[in-house]
Amino acid sequence: MTSQAIAEQPMANNSMQQKYSGKPILTMADVRGGYGDADILQGINMQVTEQEIVVIVGPNGAGKSTAMKAIFGLLKVRGGSIVVNGTEIAGWKPNRIVQHGVCYVPQVNNIFREMTIHENLEMGAFLRKGDIYESLERVYTLFPDLKERRNALAGNLSGGQRQMVAMGRALMLNPSLLLLDEPTAGLSPKYMEQIFEITRNLRNAGLSILLVEQHAKQALAFADKGYVLAAGNNRHEGTGQELLADREVAEMFLGG
Amino acid sequence: MPFMEFVNFYLMPGIVLGSIYALGAVGITLVFGILRFAHLAHGDLATFGAFTALGVVTIFGVSPWVALPVAMVVCASLAIGIDKLFYDYLSERPKIIVVMSSLGIALMLRAVVQVVWGVDTETYTRGIVRPDDYWGIRIRDREIYTIIAMFVIVGVLWAFLQKTRWGKAMRAMSDNPDLALLSGVDNRKITMLTWGIVGILCAASGFFLGINTELKPLMGWTMLLPMFAAAILGGVGRAEGAVIGGLIVGIVEETSVLFIPGEYKAALAFAILLLILLVRPTGLLKGKVL
Repeated sequence: MTSQAIAEQPMANNSMQQKYSGKPILTMADVRGGYGDADILQGINMQVTEQEIVVIVGPNGAGKSTAMKAIFGLLKVRGGSIVVNGTEIAGWKPNRIVQHGVCYVPQVNNIFREMTIHENLEMGAFLRKGDIYESLERVYTLFPDLKERRNALAGNLSGGQRQMVAMGRALMLNPSLLLLDEPTAGLSPKYMEQIFEITRNLRNAGLSILLVEQHAKQALAFADKGYVLAAGNNRHEGTGQELLADREVAEMFLGG
Repeated sequence: MPFMEFVNFYLMPGIVLGSIYALGAVGITLVFGILRFAHLAHGDLATFGAFTALGVVTIFGVSPWVALPVAMVVCASLAIGIDKLFYDYLSERPKIIVVMSSLGIALMLRAVVQVVWGVDTETYTRGIVRPDDYWGIRIRDREIYTIIAMFVIVGVLWAFLQKTRWGKAMRAMSDNPDLALLSGVDNRKITMLTWGIVGILCAASGFFLGINTELKPLMGWTMLLPMFAAAILGGVGRAEGAVIGGLIVGIVEETSVLFIPGEYKAALAFAILLLILLVRPTGLLKGKVL
């Protein structure tokens, strides 16, 4: 109960609180930070609640990927708070954040190229001491293509399959929050649809997902919630359908 | 020249020398792949290992083979200690600074060897050992042990890297360090583990050079170039490549005296290094591009 109170405190003035009453998994309040000395994020507010897909859209340089890296401790957070499952994690090292139930799939370089698919998945479960058989089976059920080629080097796979390896690796720890940074970048429409399908299935299975997506329209169509960022600030927020229906959002950020 | 003469006087010594290079080259390739810098103190760490074994032999009067594991433990601890004191401290700085500091470590290690054991040539055992004849192949026992030990040590290391949790984590760190960190791999633990293994390999390579030739304070330093050539020839980051590279460099060096004057033997490693960088910079097995 107290943890919930802490988690909600920084969001006290956020109108989203009333609209979405699920248990908050991630709460970012007035997060500032960036690489080097310049602040790219100039006070970002976001919330992801239980079993929800939240999409971040916005123009290039809006700070979408940067916001995700901030959550994962990959850049200096100079202000604000990031609360995951009731615990403040701003300033934590990535390996501690992983143990706290957050897994992150970077946009590029997200697989171990010289290791097999199977070994990639094993590395995803590195922090787990016990039997990982169940998690392996779960990932192989989600991505049947991977099971067939489990002993192939990940570096030899197609772009879509690599993305599946990357997502599978992140799922091996059974995270409560999954961060996906442009998982469909450079993929064929067929693979894009497949990745989106899997993302929805994961949500339906209870996972919370924060997604940065350049295919904004397609992603907002199934998102529970969306944030539009611009120049390191929150610009708009709403349900996926609300944002798609908003004329300003459509004109400015979704290409009319 | 009869074939057996070639085998006995050129090929076998080449394989023995190559095995010694291979032990060093595997360590160099691990440091290159996982810690991403050229470790110039590698040869002198091997010298230190060789002399540590000598110390154990002279103080306790035991066989050199008993002294080898002791030297391995000492070298592994020393390598971990050097990393804690120097390389880790510099880890956020540009890699060239770490490389230069490793040159400083090399000089320090050599100075310690010279202060403790003097600058004279030493041996583990006195007396001449004649080679035995095995179906026409003339080889000394210690040479057989060198080759076997190299394959056993590298084989155990290879199995460790392929099959165990921490071995896979080391490969992951070599493959994609950022992603390894995202997977929760502890950078410090991997670094210490790597240095421990590197120390063991250095001690072994110094010891086998010492038991097959003599112990000199410069013995490791002169091996540095061939060991680097072997690591790059095999493909940086590939342990099995370093073994192949080491054997090739050793055999080429020993057989080269058939064609060119012996004084140029040492320059051959350099020639191999230049050639491989020009023709196939990733090495024989596909390694990292430097």
